[in-house]
Amino acid sequence: MSFRVSRRNFMAGGATLLSLSALGNSAFAQENRLRLIWWGSQPRADRTNKVSDLFKAQHSGVSITGEFLGWADYWPRLATQVAGRNAPDVIQMDYRYIVEYARRGALAPLESYMPSKLQLDDFDPAQIEGGKVDGHFYGVSLGANSAATVINTVAFKEAGIDVPTNKTTWEEFGKIGAEITKAGKRKGYFGFADGSGGEPLFENYLRQRGKALYTADSKIAFTAEDASEWFDMWAKFREAGACVTPDIQALYKDTIDTSPLTVGKAACDYAHSNQFVGYQAIVKDKLMLSNYMRIKPDSKGGHYRKPSMFFSVSAQSKVIDQAVDYVNFFVKNPDAAKILDVERGIPESKAMREVVAGTLDETGKVPLEYVSGLGDLAGPLPPPPPTGAGEGQVVLRTISEQVAFGQLKPADAGKQLVDEITRILARG
Amino acid sequence: MTNAMRTSAGTVTVERYQGVRADGRFRRLWNANAPGYLFLLPWLIGFFGLTLGPALISLYLSFTDFDMLRAPGWVGAANYVRIATADPKFASAMSVTLTYVVLSVPFKLTFALLVALALNRGLRGLPIYRAIFYLPSLLGGSVAIAVLWRQLFASDGLVNAALSHFGIVGPSWISHPSYSIYTLVALSVWQFGSPMIIFLAGLRQIPQDMYEAASLDGASKLRQFYKITLPLLTPVIFFNAVVQTIDAFKAFTPAFIISGGTGGPINSTLFYTLYLYQEAFGNFRMGYASALAWILVVIIAIFTTFSFLTSRYWVHYDD
Repeated sequence: MSFRVSRRNFMAGGATLLSLSALGNSAFAQENRLRLIWWGSQPRADRTNKVSDLFKAQHSGVSITGEFLGWADYWPRLATQVAGRNAPDVIQMDYRYIVEYARRGALAPLESYMPSKLQLDDFDPAQIEGGKVDGHFYGVSLGANSAATVINTVAFKEAGIDVPTNKTTWEEFGKIGAEITKAGKRKGYFGFADGSGGEPLFENYLRQRGKALYTADSKIAFTAEDASEWFDMWAKFREAGACVTPDIQALYKDTIDTSPLTVGKAACDYAHSNQFVGYQAIVKDKLMLSNYMRIKPDSKGGHYRKPSMFFSVSAQSKVIDQAVDYVNFFVKNPDAAKILDVERGIPESKAMREVVAGTLDETGKVPLEYVSGLGDLAGPLPPPPPTGAGEGQVVLRTISEQVAFGQLKPADAGKQLVDEITRILARG
Repeated sequence: MTNAMRTSAGTVTVERYQGVRADGRFRRLWNANAPGYLFLLPWLIGFFGLTLGPALISLYLSFTDFDMLRAPGWVGAANYVRIATADPKFASAMSVTLTYVVLSVPFKLTFALLVALALNRGLRGLPIYRAIFYLPSLLGGSVAIAVLWRQLFASDGLVNAALSHFGIVGPSWISHPSYSIYTLVALSVWQFGSPMIIFLAGLRQIPQDMYEAASLDGASKLRQFYKITLPLLTPVIFFNAVVQTIDAFKAFTPAFIISGGTGGPINSTLFYTLYLYQEAFGNFRMGYASALAWILVVIIAIFTTFSFLTSRYWVHYDD
């Protein structure tokens, strides 16, 4: 049997292929095509797309495509895209990862665009500092927030207990928690979530003791003793029934919908202030925000105003100018600010903050008031976490679970945490 | 040709002559086999572009410190040395995976065989049962099933609701380090469909007259099973065992979904592939993860070779 492709068929097929590839070209090689990527939920995507539409309307000939994923899927996707030389032009970046990406040359330094294209003059200088790595500016903060305790006020009222104030100590909080659990107004309900594996909480505790997680030169900045006392404190809460049991806590996957507060297991959980809107959208009871507890009534604050997320520009981008214009529009255009609200945190620009403040609803006002009302509890921004900080966070969670499930004593856990983090940092 | 042209004219003729002959043979071969190669082309492209190529690249990367963002730098055997000597998480991931393989494969095969035997007794509506039992396998790798499993085995899930009728207060199976791996084993056993279908096909191959002869000789049903069914089914058991073992080593989705990608609580569901994934995409150590992948290849190869070597002692081919 012989097999031949006739010349005519061959030509026809070739022509089809050619026209297909031409189509591909026109779609991919467009000059003013801007690609964005961010993590978050559908409401955030809706807001972002609206801002993109607004930008397109004012800049003719620009097309914008955006994609978004959940936090856990976002980082593998981004890393793969960057490795494949296919990174989006505008990248939502987190404080945790900015050092990793900047040091590896994946982000474009933006200081040369200031102030010609990037007009960040009314930003809080500390927040601009937060977007710098090794002296270069890589990330424009999209909003500020701070770590916070989310409290179900209705559950407190049912139990007849006053909600914590910004003077409440951890010791008092432990007693409050145990009382809520004992009151038993709801089935299987506890005072608060087990925060022993939560890095923001642990960091806050360390800062109140005058320590930190990491130093500016990527070393560990706390001792085994600090960590042991931390684990010991939580062991006592667990014993008193103030916080949820370890198997309930283990189901928490760092998302709002798996939080013990959201699933109806605890009256308090720990989050970031910009997540308040998300919590209140799911939980029917009225919620409020409070600071993390103090270790002593007069201890200094461990909070800080954290740039919640950045927009960075890819070093691979062929349309850096366009991308920088977009980022500037995103943080400085009043109409964009109204659309974005405080969903990504409190706007860093003073002018935009004023625009947004006038339009906020009651839920939106809570994080704004919380962050601006921290007072003496807010301290300076710590340096960006070093390479390996992501692993450190996992280790903290694993060791806290080992203590909670009774496999490790608090004293040994502290030593093990310090050992493992030291080893991770040494590897780089 | 270029070589020949530089030498004497005679050589050119010879070369040309041979060239034409080779060309003719090639054309004949091509004419005869072209359709075959053309039909194979998609597979060939897939195999070289998507399987062999990436595999070889990953072998190269396993000797580098590739972090996905910068160009890879050669580090020699450092990754392998670290796996062997200084990585406690490798050991814990390996032990979780081995536990999973050792528990899930035998249970799954036994269960699949029992269901196949039941279905082989000439039920009415057999195709429907087959489809129903096969369904979990089709859905098995999916995210939805893993999410469902989370609901079933949570502290207030269906399983504990059932247990509470007997006055038993069950733990949160999936979030307790002592039990979480067993819920994943159960999930795997539940997906018995594909070995079951193969067993069913194997049972159909056994000549009915053997059973008739055996019953005439007065052999009990149980004895018939041990003396006829099982020996004649050994090639199918062998095939299923090898395939399922390899599959179990590669298990990823259920652990990823159920533990939210962490392998927790306390690394109790940190499957090997999950650890590999964390190292590659979570910690930017693509080079190290490639080394982990190649270790897994070697381990699976050892297991498979071992199965083949021992097979001649227990697998009977009735030729």
